[in-house]
Amino acid sequence: MTYFFQNVINALQWGSFYALIALGYAMVYSILMLFNFAHGDIFMAGSYIGFGVATGLLYLVTSGFFSLPHWLILVLTIIISMFLTSFLGILVERIGYRPLRNAPRASAAITGLMIGIILETGNLALLGARRLGFPSLIMTKTYEMGGVFVTNKKILVVLVSLGLMLALDQFVRKTKWGMAMRAMSYDFVVVPLMGVSIDVIAPLTFAIGSALAAAGGVLYGIAYPVLDPYMGILIGWKAFVAAILGGRGSIMGAALAGFLLGFIEIFVTMIFPSTLRDLIAFSIVLVILTFRPYGFFGKPYSAKLRL
Amino acid sequence: MPLLQVKNMTHFFSGLRAVHNYNLVIEPGEIHGLIGPNGAGKTTIFNLITGVYTPTEGEILLEGKSIVGLQPHEIASRGLGRTFQNMRLWRHMTVLEHVKMAHYSKLTYGLVGAFFGTAKRYREEGEIEEHSMELLELLGVAQFADQNVLNLPYGVQRKVEMARALAVKPKILFLDEPTVGMTPEELVGMMEVFRTIHKEFGPAIFLIEHRMKVVMELCEQIQTLNFGEVIAEGTPEQIQRNPKVIEAYLGKEEVE
Amino acid sequence: MKERNGKRFSTIRKWFSGIPALGWLLGAFVAVIIEYYFGESLADMLGLDRIPVLFGVVIMLKKPAAIPGAFAYVFMIYVLPVTIIARITSKAMNWLAVLLEKLPLWMSAILHLILLYYILDLWADMSDYRLLLLKLSLIAIMLTLSLNVINGYMGEFSCSHPGFMALGAYTASIFTVGLFMNDRILGHALISTIPSWMGQIVFPLGLILGGAIAAIGALVVAIPSFRTRGDYLAIISLAFMFIVKSGFENLEVFGGPRGLGGQPDWATLPAVFIWAVLCVWTINNFVESTMGKALNAVRDEEAAAEAMTVNTRKTKMIAFMFGAFWAGIAGGLFAHVLRYVNPGTFGLKKLAEVLAMVYFGGLNSVIGSIVGAVGFNLLSEMLRPLEIFKWIIIPVLLILVMIFRPTGLIAFKHFDIREILKPKLKMKERV
Repeated sequence: MTYFFQNVINALQWGSFYALIALGYAMVYSILMLFNFAHGDIFMAGSYIGFGVATGLLYLVTSGFFSLPHWLILVLTIIISMFLTSFLGILVERIGYRPLRNAPRASAAITGLMIGIILETGNLALLGARRLGFPSLIMTKTYEMGGVFVTNKKILVVLVSLGLMLALDQFVRKTKWGMAMRAMSYDFVVVPLMGVSIDVIAPLTFAIGSALAAAGGVLYGIAYPVLDPYMGILIGWKAFVAAILGGRGSIMGAALAGFLLGFIEIFVTMIFPSTLRDLIAFSIVLVILTFRPYGFFGKPYSAKLRL
Repeated sequence: MPLLQVKNMTHFFSGLRAVHNYNLVIEPGEIHGLIGPNGAGKTTIFNLITGVYTPTEGEILLEGKSIVGLQPHEIASRGLGRTFQNMRLWRHMTVLEHVKMAHYSKLTYGLVGAFFGTAKRYREEGEIEEHSMELLELLGVAQFADQNVLNLPYGVQRKVEMARALAVKPKILFLDEPTVGMTPEELVGMMEVFRTIHKEFGPAIFLIEHRMKVVMELCEQIQTLNFGEVIAEGTPEQIQRNPKVIEAYLGKEEVE
Repeated sequence: MKERNGKRFSTIRKWFSGIPALGWLLGAFVAVIIEYYFGESLADMLGLDRIPVLFGVVIMLKKPAAIPGAFAYVFMIYVLPVTIIARITSKAMNWLAVLLEKLPLWMSAILHLILLYYILDLWADMSDYRLLLLKLSLIAIMLTLSLNVINGYMGEFSCSHPGFMALGAYTASIFTVGLFMNDRILGHALISTIPSWMGQIVFPLGLILGGAIAAIGALVVAIPSFRTRGDYLAIISLAFMFIVKSGFENLEVFGGPRGLGGQPDWATLPAVFIWAVLCVWTINNFVESTMGKALNAVRDEEAAAEAMTVNTRKTKMIAFMFGAFWAGIAGGLFAHVLRYVNPGTFGLKKLAEVLAMVYFGGLNSVIGSIVGAVGFNLLSEMLRPLEIFKWIIIPVLLILVMIFRPTGLIAFKHFDIREILKPKLKMKERV
């Protein structure tokens, strides 16, 4: 039983990463009806930016410019990386998506894919092939509760993710911009006629999605402190699956589906050898989609890749 | 035996009643009109009979055989042609390809023919091409055969759509507001087309139309629909005099 | 200035517009023969270490000092002979083309293809690298075209092509290795020592088996995804790709993640060439028929297609399985060209590559897919000396193509063989 709860904790942590990345996919997909295949690499970039910010701050602290407690450095790292990465999102929208707004949707998916490759290669060219270690900003502490071991990092990952998701939820529900986004997801033909400019909503969507991915990247760096340029690919594509699994028009559905995918993967490895993880996890996804073809929270809709 | 018979058809859209207890009899060669205010459920009735939706209750018989639950393409190949309110032409296809496409169910060359280009395939494609050209010529749009439909004027597009529907060799033709958005000149041309079609091929026609002039001139029988229910049925004269119709629909028209 | 350039360009175009396909092929044939016999000595004279393998581009990028030499080589071996021969034989070739036009189309097409094959064969005979590149490009054509059927003609977004390829590659490999080779993993050959000519007879069986298994795999994807509209195919097919890859990684009987090697050397150039031609031929036949055009109708307006008696579900299923079949064949050939196959090959990278080729070349177009596949392969080989910067240049190029031509370079074009092969000058114009 303790083994079970141990895995619940692991699944929550693992699911948090999927959920944070899936949110960005889902936002772009729900609001603009596009796949942003660069998103996994934005996660990677966010992680590297976090690495840069954290290293910089630590350097300043150790060389005595100012003194900060480590937890504050962590908070600052997350915030600054989110801020910086959101500009990357805006850039991706500007280069890869805005010129293609009237093009077939699939073409925009291809530019996204290509921007992703550019990000990976650019990273490789800039920093070389060596893997970087994320600086450890907090000491790992392990708590024991009835035989279940929980580290403070895991708690941090889950709490920060949940907090961000709540914040996003409030943003989408309560603010003017959030409501404009939701309106756009119902009808992106009429809403621009109501004075909501798609030239504002689209970059905003990309920016928020990228900021969330960056938070995910920093948290990932804290939990698994080895960074490499290709770290975003697999996790990104899987989060993409989760995003669609949640259903179009349901941003929080994507987060839940992200956690679900985390749970499926962790529990598959709990029962079966870990090499079977993808096989079984995606078979489950296939079965789910067979029976709930619009995802968990999605409404039936008709969208075509217009050519 | 009537060509098309609908008995007590009722349909709900997730609890919302769209069509209630609808009945219809169309004899071969008859022109039947369906009028009613916007949102009365006219297009829903078309979609129910053509198989886009399956009615919650009721029976639909085409030449005495039930067609409830069949796929739209199966119903179409039994001799039910239709046009759409917003035409729904295929953006990347030429006029000729449009009309050829509607012969799909008559192709017998199968996959072998499609993949390996057998002699049978070229023969059949030639035959349907010939038939398609005849239809286009009849409607006076043959000169556009090799052009992409999107580049053509609206009136021509409408005719292409009509030719496409006729290529199904319909025993009954469903026309959903075929004159919407037309200029008076185009309208005259279209009325001519209806008459030609009816004379040449003699299909029954089931017509949704907003222009009273068209309906009153063409139709032998008219149904008036309001809130998914038939409120009046009869010849054009009867309909024009029916107080319920005037109240629901024509009253406004006369004030204009 | 611009105008003058335009005029000059149009004179050049006029100069060469009267040359039929046959003339260009003859020119290329002569060029390849010249290279075959005099290439090495010319390269030597120009101070190049060996003959430039890929039209000199690789050499230019590697050694800037060799740029003039490489230019001269390409000019003297390719540009001059091709243009001169094509131009001076233009009359004769038009006359021949008129004669050929009187033959049934298939005969004329086969004659042209034989000539094309010999050109490619001679060209590839000069280095193993060229041979490999040529084979892989032909396979890429098959992959691109078969994905174009699904993503272009049918307008869905399928991600499962690497999965279908893997199914075909493994099935064909298991067939050939298991039956005819002694292997560490699959054990002794069941039928040992067959004469080599027999290989060319049983090999197609293995490939077709692979294609068939891939088509069955397509059914698994198609049944849940075509029930509804929308983007579900994209993720169901993606899930399928992961499942196939992960499945083979876990099948220790077939070598697991280490893969399966030792395929017989049956994927010779003629074999690959014939399969590629078959693929282009059948797919072009299909998409040009009314049954295949139904795909476009389903893509552009599904409701109208249904109302015009098109069985949309069947149409989509057939096209999807047909595309998967050819991906399976291509996978089988791929495994036998490299004579080794492992599950890692059929992952996201392959997916990105195939998608890039399809969208680069052009949607809904056979000729576009050929150009896309060959262009992409050549480009990625030519830019190899740039190392990782290659993977910045190629994506940037593709983004530019998408921005300026969102459906790809040569999209929505008919591939009309008769049009390509016909004489380009009418008899009276020749005077």
